[in-house]
Amino acid sequence: MSSADIEIKKLKKVYYKDKMEIPVLAGLDLSISAGEFVALMGPSGSGKSTLLHLIGGLDTATAGSVRVGESLLETMSEAQLTSWRSRHVGFIFQMYHLVPVLTAAQNVELPLLLFKMKSSERKERVKTALTIVGLGDRMDHRPNQLSGGQEQRVAIARAIVTDPDVILADEPTGDLDAKTSEEILNLLNLLNEEFGKTILMVTHDPKAAAHAKKTVHLEKGQLEREEFSNRQPMAAAR
Amino acid sequence: MALPLSYNWRNLFVRKLSTSLTFSVVSIIVAVLSILLSFAAGINDSLRSTGNPANIIVLRTGATAESTSLIKPDEANRVLQAPGIAQDDKGRTLASQELCAQTTLPRKDGRGIANVCVRGVDEIAFTIHKEVRLIEGRLFNVGQMEVIVGKAAQERYKHLALGEIVPMGRSGDRAYKVVGVFEADGSAVESEIWGPRTSIMDSFRRTFLSSVIVQVKDAGLAREAIDYLQGPAVRLKAKSETEYYEDLTSKTREIVVLTSVLITLMGIGAVFAVANTMYAAVDSRRREIAMLRTIGFVRRSIITAFVLESLLICMSACVCGLIIAALVSSMISKQDFLSDTTWTVLAYDLKMTPWTIGTALALAAAVGVIGGLAPAVRASRTKVIEALRKA
Ligand SMILES: Nc1ncnc2c1ncn2[C@@H]1O[C@H](COP(=O)(O)OP(=O)(O)OP(=O)(O)O)[C@@H](O)[C@H]1O
Ligand SMILES: [Mg+2]
Repeated sequence: MSSADIEIKKLKKVYYKDKMEIPVLAGLDLSISAGEFVALMGPSGSGKSTLLHLIGGLDTATAGSVRVGESLLETMSEAQLTSWRSRHVGFIFQMYHLVPVLTAAQNVELPLLLFKMKSSERKERVKTALTIVGLGDRMDHRPNQLSGGQEQRVAIARAIVTDPDVILADEPTGDLDAKTSEEILNLLNLLNEEFGKTILMVTHDPKAAAHAKKTVHLEKGQLEREEFSNRQPMAAAR
Repeated sequence: MALPLSYNWRNLFVRKLSTSLTFSVVSIIVAVLSILLSFAAGINDSLRSTGNPANIIVLRTGATAESTSLIKPDEANRVLQAPGIAQDDKGRTLASQELCAQTTLPRKDGRGIANVCVRGVDEIAFTIHKEVRLIEGRLFNVGQMEVIVGKAAQERYKHLALGEIVPMGRSGDRAYKVVGVFEADGSAVESEIWGPRTSIMDSFRRTFLSSVIVQVKDAGLAREAIDYLQGPAVRLKAKSETEYYEDLTSKTREIVVLTSVLITLMGIGAVFAVANTMYAAVDSRRREIAMLRTIGFVRRSIITAFVLESLLICMSACVCGLIIAALVSSMISKQDFLSDTTWTVLAYDLKMTPWTIGTALALAAAVGVIGGLAPAVRASRTKVIEALRKA
């Protein structure tokens, strides 16, 4: 059960398209402490996904600094970032991105294949992760035999199976109905509260954002305002 | 650690049409290659250069085959004057005058009749053709209506069982008795019938010979003897037996060359088919690849996975192609091959040699790697962030 803080300083990202500069992030600062659950909101095209990709080491910044735990991402090569991602970050996407030909268990096992690990230990971990997301009885189902909500649970299990420090979720409930969204968000709360994971979640839905402890708004390349929700921890609510 | 093979295997079944088309193309190529190579191996086997370099085959000048060669008895006698001809311990000159006549015999498999070479020889022929050995029965008696038959001929044609009477001769009215069976190291001679020269010449009403084979004391003397035979004193065509067999096997080389050209062309086609299938696979799985890269698979793993997938199609197609080839080979084994040298048929088998199988495996692997590499590299260069965006 590991967790890390995130510190972003003067982060700039400029895209170039046909020699045109498209400024997306204009030197923003953001700190997220270890074990925090932060929601990121903002209009479409404001750069939420871009920010998430920069924190996850999928993209490199034009300027500025991103530190996740001990790691300073701007100092790392592409190969180093790839290996770092496999150890420290769990990604959750709106589209789930499961491999359709593999079973739920095999999908969850994928990130573990990058580690030196006995097959029996992998199986054990996969089972644990799927049990946490409530799919212990769906191990051998293919994605097309699962509902959208179940697919997203499998994706979450895949994101946590390596015990990452941070979980980055890009509109994880964007494709789900209200009830299923609620279940997925409760699962994220569980990961945050029971397992202490640092979570940054992009969302358009204020109800989803209400599950986070803090919401930040991205607009015109800057973080505009922060709100703290008055949400009670799940444990306390029970 | 790499992606599990089951990942690749199952993906093959996702794009069934494209995969099965490529699978068929590669199977067919492998089958064609294996059959043609088995064909070549079979011919090579029966035309194997068993020739003795000290034996010189003499034909009429201009004759390309024994059947078109006519040698008059006085010409045959002049052949004996060639320098360096050996004698056996009984003092007989090692020269075999031979007549190659044709008779027609029904095939055992019921597929019509075939031209079979009937060779009239003297006793000395068995000293010169050392590879000819009786394996059953006895030798024919000179002056009798008796023949011995090659092992391959007996297997393939009717009326050639030991003790059977086989009608032959110019009008097919001379009854010869089969008294023996011979083998000859699997060479073409095994498809022939041998009988006493005088009887055969009489039965086929022939006064000319087809060929004379002389043996020189030492292979080194062959050149001089050949020059003499082709020179003004004799004016016949002379070739060492090794050369003669080599000319026959050039047929095999032609097949191998033809096969190589054909297979290269088909192989190029197959590479494109494989590349096409794999490009389609890569394009339809861009997001999946992006996800794999996101969770930490390096470019090399992606390349390996797609090349493996391409190899998987090609190698399983190779196995299928080899099975087809083996079935076809067993169906048309003991195929007839009309020898353009004697205008009679030679018997041979299609042989699936380890070399054939090895060549097929190598071809399939090459097609898989070459066809799969470019798509695999494209896969590894998938722009992760773009691929992850909503459609
Ligand atoms: N590769 C690129 N080249 C040029 N412009 C890009 C590229 N990637 C993103 N952009 C631009 O950057 C901006 C931010 O994109 P981003 O995907 O981060 O927005 P977002 O806030 O996640 O939007 P949404 O809510 O629709 O997901 C957009 O205007 C987009 O067009
Ligand atoms: Mg986005």
